[in-house]
Amino acid sequence: MSRSLPEAPRAPKADVCLLMEGSYPYVAGGVSTWTHDLIRSHADLTFHIVALVADRSARKLAYDLPPNVTGLTHVHLQDPPAGWRWQPGTGRLLRDLERPLARLQQGGGLAEVAEVLRLLAPRRGRIGKRALLNSEDAFRMVVRMCRAALPDASFLEYFWGSRALMSGLFATLLVPMPQAAVYHAISTGYAGLFAARARLETGRPALLTEHGIYTNERRIEILMAEWLFEGADTSLALDKKKRDLRDLWLDTFASYSKACYDACDRIITLYGGNQEFQRRQGADPAKLMIVPNGIDYAGYSQVQRDSTPRPPTIALIGRVVPIKDVKTYIRAAAILREDIPDLKAMILGPLEEDPGYVEECRTIVKHLGLEQTVIFAGRVRLTDWLGKVDAIALTSVSEAQPLVILEAGASGVPTVATDVGSCSELLMGRPDEVPPLGPGGAVTPLASPLDTARELRALLLDRPWRERCAQAIARRVAQSYDKVAIDRIYRAIYDEHIAMPTRPTHDQQDFQLSGAA
Amino acid sequence: MAGIGFALRRLARRDDLLGVLQGYAHSAFITSGPWMFTILALAGITLFGRDLVGVEELTLFRVVVIYNFCFSVVFTGPLVLVATRYLADAIYAKEVEAAPGMLLATLGLAYAIAALTAGPFYPLFSGLPMPVMLGGLVNFFLVCGIWVVSIFLSALKDYLAVTVAFGVGMATGMAGAVLLGDRFGAAGMVWGFSAGLAAIQFGLIARVLAEYPYPVGRMFAFLGYFRKYADLALIGLFANAAVWTDKWIMWFAPERELVSGAMAIYSAYDGAMFIAYLTTLPALTLFTVNIETRFFEHYQGFYRDIQKHATYDQIARNHSAIIAALLDSSRNLIILQGAVCAVCIFLAPAIVGVLGLQYQQIGMFRFGVLGAFFQVLFLFCTVILAYFDLRARNLTAQLVYLVTNGGFTLLFSGMGFPWYGYGYFLASLLAFAVAYLMVADAVRRLPYFAFVANNPSVR
Repeated sequence: MSRSLPEAPRAPKADVCLLMEGSYPYVAGGVSTWTHDLIRSHADLTFHIVALVADRSARKLAYDLPPNVTGLTHVHLQDPPAGWRWQPGTGRLLRDLERPLARLQQGGGLAEVAEVLRLLAPRRGRIGKRALLNSEDAFRMVVRMCRAALPDASFLEYFWGSRALMSGLFATLLVPMPQAAVYHAISTGYAGLFAARARLETGRPALLTEHGIYTNERRIEILMAEWLFEGADTSLALDKKKRDLRDLWLDTFASYSKACYDACDRIITLYGGNQEFQRRQGADPAKLMIVPNGIDYAGYSQVQRDSTPRPPTIALIGRVVPIKDVKTYIRAAAILREDIPDLKAMILGPLEEDPGYVEECRTIVKHLGLEQTVIFAGRVRLTDWLGKVDAIALTSVSEAQPLVILEAGASGVPTVATDVGSCSELLMGRPDEVPPLGPGGAVTPLASPLDTARELRALLLDRPWRERCAQAIARRVAQSYDKVAIDRIYRAIYDEHIAMPTRPTHDQQDFQLSGAA
Repeated sequence: MAGIGFALRRLARRDDLLGVLQGYAHSAFITSGPWMFTILALAGITLFGRDLVGVEELTLFRVVVIYNFCFSVVFTGPLVLVATRYLADAIYAKEVEAAPGMLLATLGLAYAIAALTAGPFYPLFSGLPMPVMLGGLVNFFLVCGIWVVSIFLSALKDYLAVTVAFGVGMATGMAGAVLLGDRFGAAGMVWGFSAGLAAIQFGLIARVLAEYPYPVGRMFAFLGYFRKYADLALIGLFANAAVWTDKWIMWFAPERELVSGAMAIYSAYDGAMFIAYLTTLPALTLFTVNIETRFFEHYQGFYRDIQKHATYDQIARNHSAIIAALLDSSRNLIILQGAVCAVCIFLAPAIVGVLGLQYQQIGMFRFGVLGAFFQVLFLFCTVILAYFDLRARNLTAQLVYLVTNGGFTLLFSGMGFPWYGYGYFLASLLAFAVAYLMVADAVRRLPYFAFVANNPSVR
């Protein structure tokens, strides 16, 4: 770490407080890179980062923090502040907490978070893990909650489950609040819970940008979790299954999301598909907003088309890993070669991540006799290649908002992509696009080499169609996905909310939850 | 300890009278532990030796044996408890290959303790004649060794062999003491008695090595447990010191006898207390054969059902069952021991007369019987605390007993012999009250202790 940053409450007041759960600045990846870019793009704003991490173990920064980051506060989700062991009124406090906590485990929302905060507020600094989790009053509360909500569940499982959930809740609600003009959560979950708390406690606006839908990701994780004990009788149940421990986890995260949606002034996501989930989770449609990820349009649009004669060329851009379904791409290339014998099908992307999968892909290439057609080029500079490619194929089984479609599009290359994430929105345009720009390629079903080959053939052999698509996607990128423009959108959002007057906080007389919602 | 109880109860449940007798005889022997062992050894030799050697020689012998037994058990206490914990964990984890190496290591450490304590004491301060002094020194090493080898007894399922080892050893010891004492006086008695102790020690070592035929290795792996369980080591020290502290203090009473050099005893007090403690035999037996095993079944059921994903209502039912079993058993125990105690107090003059003691010992004996009543109840409380691994509470209880037994004995030792023994009785009563409150509190709040307060996974 190049410099040590002050934690709340010693940190200076920042313009924006970013709430990051399990990502920036310790874990590299899509969301972290996006956040790093966001901070650097707004160099004249100051940022405070709240990093929600599991425990107090030492971590290494994955990014050099830009100079406009003025503070870094940690929330240790599995290890809330200890607090005092003994203090009067703990029993009463826990009895009062029981109702809102129980409701948060069964789909509560902002009202319950506000109630918990109101109860904890007068004891801030003194109350903590010892009283709230480890005291006998706390244990009795857990027993009462289990008997009320899940009397047939394994108490051992309930105990550890609710303890983990409450640890995270209390850690998030008890850490000192950094001062900022705007609080911006980059996911729901505990980051979203923190945003709700910030809105209630400081009266400052809260924003949410959801890249993936947190509750969905949690749902997959929990449904696949082997550590969760299932009651022995569940397989025999004919009627609707009783509420079980999985529901405890799912409902609790749904509550946190709901609280976050209700507290935030704007709920931003990358594309329309995600909005549907947000609406279903109870987000107010009036607050919803789509801000996609942008790319360097100016740079990519400078890529020169290579006009020298060469065979028709397609490319898959990405890591050679199962989620990208490179095998479907190779099979599509085999079908395509029947009509276009001199076809070149490039695979542009690193080969190190899953050597086993790369080997399987090479075997298929050999088996189909495609050695002269399919070329593994490894990691390349995209701008060197985009001028020599006629169409991009994207056969992934899962994507959010793939930037390659935009980068290729900016340089005038259309794409054939599977119908995942925002691919269809990127290629066909959002329903509210004015004026409609037309298709920038084609969308195909998952794992369908035939469809992929057919659409690629159309692009390669039908020159006017290819040029129409290329123009459409280039214009769409310029209009909606230029990073300069996207930065301006975020800037406008920040400016608007930084300038907003401070609203009543939850402990003030004229505070109303509906006003927060 | 419940392991022994189960095997004994199987014996006691055999349908013939011999089985029942065997069971209770074994248990009387095993449960009485080091304390009872000391008393029986002394009583036997005193009985036979009285007419063989002069009173002076016999007193010399007695002081050596008493000093060796009490100081060895106190000094090896920490080692014994920590090594027991390590062995129990190893058996639980099914990693008993370490047992032979550990046996040799603990023996080595026990001998080292002996060398560091008795080593300088005997030559420098005992003032004993050379043959007696050397015999006393060897004897101390042997007793230390027996305490340590006894750790492995609970791991051995072969109680018959254990009983035989002790029986043969004690018989050898008595015979040796009598025969050699006849020819060589006190030195002969000490050496003869030591021969019996050597038979016990090496018999048990052979038994353990036969039971665990693994190569010797990882000898000192258990030393890490001293840091992890420092409280356990202190419990081992305090518990044994607490039992003896009133005797030690009475060795400074005006009526004491300076036997040789720095070695003093007060045989009237010691004798009364030893005999008083014998009255706890029925209670000890009942506890080991019946109560502890019954408690252990409920105890195991409680934790097993939690691991098997019981609902809270099931856990609460198991909790109530533990409480009911404990209440039920302690009622039986108190009735039995109370009756024994009452009879002994009423018949104290007769008992003292039969045993050929002095009449001034009647008062001490009565206080001793009352004190032993509470001491044995205190012992049971600390066994329960040990089951729940409530080491801080156990340590507190032992410390209270040590301090009160020392303090009260000191206080009343200045008030003349009508008050002798009153301090021990009062300390036992008070220590029992403290331990009882701690056990009752812990058992009442057992689910909280199991899940949170005493759960190492909860940070």
